[in-house]
This record gives sequence, structure tokens and C-alpha cells, in this order.
Amino acid sequence: MNRTRLTTTGRLRAAVAVAGVATLLLAGCSTEKEDPSAGGSGECLNADEAQAEYEKAWSTASEQLDVDLEPVAEDVCEVDTSDWKADPKQGDKYRIAFAAQGPTNSWGLTSEEAFKAHAKEKDVDVLYASANGDATAQVDNIQQLTSQQPDALVVVPMGEGIAGQVRAAVKQGIPVVACSGVLPDDSGVVSTVTRQYDLLGAMYAEWLAKQLDGKGQVAMLSGLAGVPTAEYQAAAAKKVFKKYPDIKVVTQQYTEWSPSVAKTVAANLLSKYPKLAGIWSDSGYGDLGVVQAYTEAGKDVPPLTGDASNAFLKAVKGTDVRFALSSFPPEMSTTCLDTALKILDGESVLNKVYIDSPSFTDAKASEYVREECSDNLLIPTSLSDALLKKLKLC
Amino acid sequence: MTEPTGTVEVSSESTPAAATGMPSWQHRARALLAPATGLLALLVIAAITTPHFYSASVIQLVLFQIGLIGVTALGQTFVLLVAGIDLSVGGVTGLTTVIIAVQTGGDAAALPGALLLALGAGILVGLVNAGLVLLRDVPPFVATFAVFVLIQGVVIAWTKGAPSGNVPGEMAWMGTGKLLGVPTPAWFFLALAVATWWVLSRSTAGRRIYATGGNRRAAQLSGIRTWMVIASCYVLCAVLAVLTGLVNAGYVGYVDAQLSRTLDLNSIAAAVVGGVGLAGGRGRIEQTVLGVLLLAVMLTWLIQLGAGAGAQMLVSGIVILGAVWLQSGPVRPPRALRAIFVKGQAS
Repeated sequence: MNRTRLTTTGRLRAAVAVAGVATLLLAGCSTEKEDPSAGGSGECLNADEAQAEYEKAWSTASEQLDVDLEPVAEDVCEVDTSDWKADPKQGDKYRIAFAAQGPTNSWGLTSEEAFKAHAKEKDVDVLYASANGDATAQVDNIQQLTSQQPDALVVVPMGEGIAGQVRAAVKQGIPVVACSGVLPDDSGVVSTVTRQYDLLGAMYAEWLAKQLDGKGQVAMLSGLAGVPTAEYQAAAAKKVFKKYPDIKVVTQQYTEWSPSVAKTVAANLLSKYPKLAGIWSDSGYGDLGVVQAYTEAGKDVPPLTGDASNAFLKAVKGTDVRFALSSFPPEMSTTCLDTALKILDGESVLNKVYIDSPSFTDAKASEYVREECSDNLLIPTSLSDALLKKLKLC
Repeated sequence: MTEPTGTVEVSSESTPAAATGMPSWQHRARALLAPATGLLALLVIAAITTPHFYSASVIQLVLFQIGLIGVTALGQTFVLLVAGIDLSVGGVTGLTTVIIAVQTGGDAAALPGALLLALGAGILVGLVNAGLVLLRDVPPFVATFAVFVLIQGVVIAWTKGAPSGNVPGEMAWMGTGKLLGVPTPAWFFLALAVATWWVLSRSTAGRRIYATGGNRRAAQLSGIRTWMVIASCYVLCAVLAVLTGLVNAGYVGYVDAQLSRTLDLNSIAAAVVGGVGLAGGRGRIEQTVLGVLLLAVMLTWLIQLGAGAGAQMLVSGIVILGAVWLQSGPVRPPRALRAIFVKGQAS
């Protein structure tokens, strides 16, 4: 799960950008009232239906992993978008701006190719900009895209530092959809389409707790320190582990979503915690390194979790490694596009669209592994075979 | 600690020793004092805080780290000695694993071609670095950072951001193999460190490197083709980064797309912690070796300690800063303070 991989310089630049944006925010907050579309304060339309829709992703995961999951409290409402209803600003086709992560890994690549393919089906034009995983670059991208007056903007947030620019776009009359990530409530986005980090973190933790009968030492392996994808999931998992007094989280380490780093970390865990009963991890790609470290040391791999990559499924095929995997499907970008189009059509949408997607354990792994496809394929995929071939993923 | 040499064709250790009247062995020993003390202190702290630090499995982890950091640190030492710096080593390391995986797709028959390609790419990167520094007078920091970014771009454009493919099993020994219980990468480091020691302290090439780094103009006047010396150092550094890339590829067996995006500063940190000067012409390979040992012990110890990411970075930063601070000479109060103190005494 390596979406926002920031380099050292990237982080530095991001920090500078965040500081800059924060200053602007402070200046802005004192003088202006927020846009009504910012959500939170208005009445919650169709609350029950929206809430049921939200809880669906939790109940699916609960069934598939056979664990009890308590949905994290969320105010999910329907947003009346009649004010945003509009005809195409130019010509007879909508022009949707897509501020993407950039093809810095297979997740980013799949996300934007799925978006573009879906746009073709829907007969809309795409104005595209790649942030290359960098929040500062994305601030610039959004500015550029906004200046082209698109009908709507879909943004894959690279960090909260872009919130100011997003708010500026909304103020210029461009509805914004946050896609595959979250932005602060006051950023003004009309809708957020994402897989819920809380759900992923919690379901892995509950599954692990069940495997361990609620007792034993657990190590947590997260991706990159300070990156929301890693931290939100870890925080949700820690909350779950707290419910089990006999489960002890002995350490939390970062793998940088790299199998090499994960292998070194796991080799250290092996010697330091010989009684380690389970490994909570947010990444199947990092899990590759964990499995190797344990196998090379001649030890049994403890039960572990992560997102489903084809590489991991191939690596553990025929072994008795126990695991639970889920996904943060890159193809959710198509739902983001659909949501943007609904908004332009004046059709009401949910303020938070939480993507439901399969979770599975080692028992069902053989149904999901794609032997004929690349290691980088994120499982399961809904992309067409032709597109997978074009992207050299299959 | 040796000072920049003003003359040419002299060994690095003879000048300061002659200047201070101190025997050269004493000078050499003094230069090693700070990193050696740091290492010793760290080893003691590690023993107290993590009692199993001296178990065979942990020592093997340290040795593996030594191999990984050490090989690039040796290359970095060459570049630092000619007053350069190479920020592209992380890029070359990553690029190598991508080349091996994508070109072979796990097929050993394609390995020789892939190895040649990786080596060629490394040499090319070294030449581009040297070309920018020598022909266009671009500061090494800027030139090699630009090349690092360029490598990332090439990798993303070439693989569409999603490099895939396995590393042939035949390469596993480079990363996971052991000889007499010691991981192969550590042996690579040992052999290369001995070779580097010989080149730097016993060969004409070594003297030319020190002369070029110490005072390029003077070296030029004495007939040394300094451009060639500098270019060789950059190419050598890149080639050693290729070797580290191969070790990494063998270690994990998969293409690791993250590697090419890491600005790997450990190689610089190790050399500088050991006492190799950033201004060129100052430092010996023994210092780099001590720096490598110190860094490898520290990185392993911090994970063993179960320290969080913040604490790990904090301690790394403090150790590097502390080492560099100690390198800059005896601790003395600032001049203004000393003046006040002297005045006070006089009255």
C-alpha cells in the first residue's frame, strides 16, 4: 500500500508547503465564513439510508474475515447538489480535472488508467496532472488545473497541505471530489470517495486477535512514518488491540513499503521477540520480506495481515502461512468520476462514499492469485483484460 | 586528523605530521580516536540496553548492514576525497535492482546481459556526474542530486512506474549467502576495504587523489590530470553502488521499486562520521570503516531497542552531528567568551 511515498526532499518541501498553507489558513479563517458545502454543520439528509450504506463495507469485511467489527462513528449524509448542477462550461462535453498521484507505482498507474478509461466510456474529457507523490507539486497542479476552468475537479490528495488550494478551487465554483484519501472537513470538498483506513486497520487487528485467541505478542509494521495511509490504519489497529488486555503490542516499526526494508526489520524482530505470535502489517508488499526473513531463519511465519498484492499471493502459494488481506482498490477512481458527474447533474451524493471491497484469508487465496499476471497487480482487479495487458500488468 | 595538503605527490599523512612534529602513527591514531570512542560507547550502551545484542543472530544483522552501507561508503569516500559528493548512489542502487528484475524476469540465462547493462548504466551515471562537475562546473551537490532525480524519472518512464519481475535465484547468494557464518555482503565490504586501503595509502593513484582533493590547482601544475582522477572517483562510486544494488536484489529476490526513490544518505553519513572531510583531500579508509561500523551498530541497535521512527531518526541525527562536531577539533569556547574570560582574569 504505497501510494504517497515521499522522498526526503519531498518531505522537506511538503513541510514547507504545509507551513505556508497553515499560515494562509490562519489568515483566511479569521476573516471569512466557510462555504456551506464544507459539510458538518448543515442538516443531515437521508441519514439512515446513508448510514446503512456506510456500514455495508464494515459488515462485508466482518463476514469475509469472520470477525466482529464495530463501525467507527461517522456522520454520513446525503448532499443536495442542485446548486452545482451545470451544463458543460466549454463545448458539449464535461471537462473533468484529475489531480492524480502520478504513476510512481502500480497503484498510481492503475488508479489513473482506470479513471481515463472510464472517462472515455462516459464521454467526458480529462484534464490530467500528476503530482509524482508530492504534496507541494500537487498544490501547483491544482492551481494549474483550476485555471483551465474545468467543470469539476477530482483530486487524489497527497497530503493535508493541499486543503487551501482545494478550498480556493471550490470558491471559484468548481465542485471537488476527494478520491482515495481524506482532506480536512473545512477543505470544502463536496464528496470524499475512499476505502476507509479505520476499517482496514481494525479488521486486520480483529482477525489477528482472533487467531491469537486474544493473547500474545504482536508487532506492528507500518509503511511510512507520518503518512496518513500508514498512521490512520495503525491508530485504528491500536484501538482494537487495547480491547484485548492479554495482547501486547511489543513494537511498531516502519517498512517504507519496501520488501527489503521489511525483511531487515523482520530479521530483527525474529531475534528480539522470539515469542512473537502475530504481525499486524499494512502492506502485502512488505509482507514479502517478512515471510522471507522467517523462512530463511527456519522459523514458522506468524499470522500476518496486509493489502493484497499478486507478488505476496504467489510467494505464499503452497505454504501454510496464515494471513488476512484486503484491498485499497485503485479502481475506486472510477467511482470518483461517477460522483463528480452526479454532482454536475444535480443528483444528490453522499458526503462520504466508502468503498466496499473484498477481504480474504489464506483459505481463499487460491481464488484470488493471478499466476499469469505481474507481481505488481493489486488484487482483486476490476480492470478489463485489454487494459491490464496494455499496462503490462497481465 | 590530517589537514589539506598544500603540496602535491605527498602522502596524506606525512604533511601534518611533519608540520606538527608529531609521529605520523600518532596522527593516524588521533584521527581514529573520535569514531572509535563513539563506536565503543555505542557498543557498551547496546550491551546495557539490549542484553541479547551480542547474540549470533543480531551480530549477523549488524554484519549484513555493514556490507550494505559499507560498499557505498567506500565509493563515497573516493568522491569526498576529491572534494565532491555523490547523492545519486541511492538512485543507482535502485536502478540496478530494476534492471536486473525487468531484464531477466527471473530467468538466469538473461543474467549476464542484465549484469552488463546494470554495470553500463552505473558507469554512465558516474560519467554524467563527472561531466557535469568537470565540464560545466556544476557544484557536485547539485549535479548528483539532479542525476538522482533523473534516474527516478528514467525508472518511472521505462517501467511505467510499476517495475515487475523476479530476480534470478542464482543471485540470492550475494544477499543471503554466508561464508564462515558471516553474510556475503560483509565479505564484499572487507575485500573492497582492503583494496581501497591499498589504493589510497600505498599507490600512486591514491597520492594523486589526495593531491587533487587537497589542492587541485597545485596538483594540476605538477602534471596530474586531475579531471581524470575526479572522473575515476565518480565512476568508481557509481560502480560500487551497482554492486550494492546487486546485493540488495539478491537479498530480497524481488524488484523493490521503493529503493530507487530513496536518497540514501547512509554512505555519506558513514564516511563523514568516520572523519572524512567534506572539503576534500582529508580522511582515510580506516575512518570510513569505523564510520560504517558505528552506523551499522546504531541502526541495528535502534531496531532492537524497539525505538519508534521518531526516536530512530533523532538518535541517528544526534550521533552524526556529535561525530561531526568532535571531528572539527578540540572543544573550545567561542573567541568572544574567551576574551571576556581573559579580561576577567587580568583585572
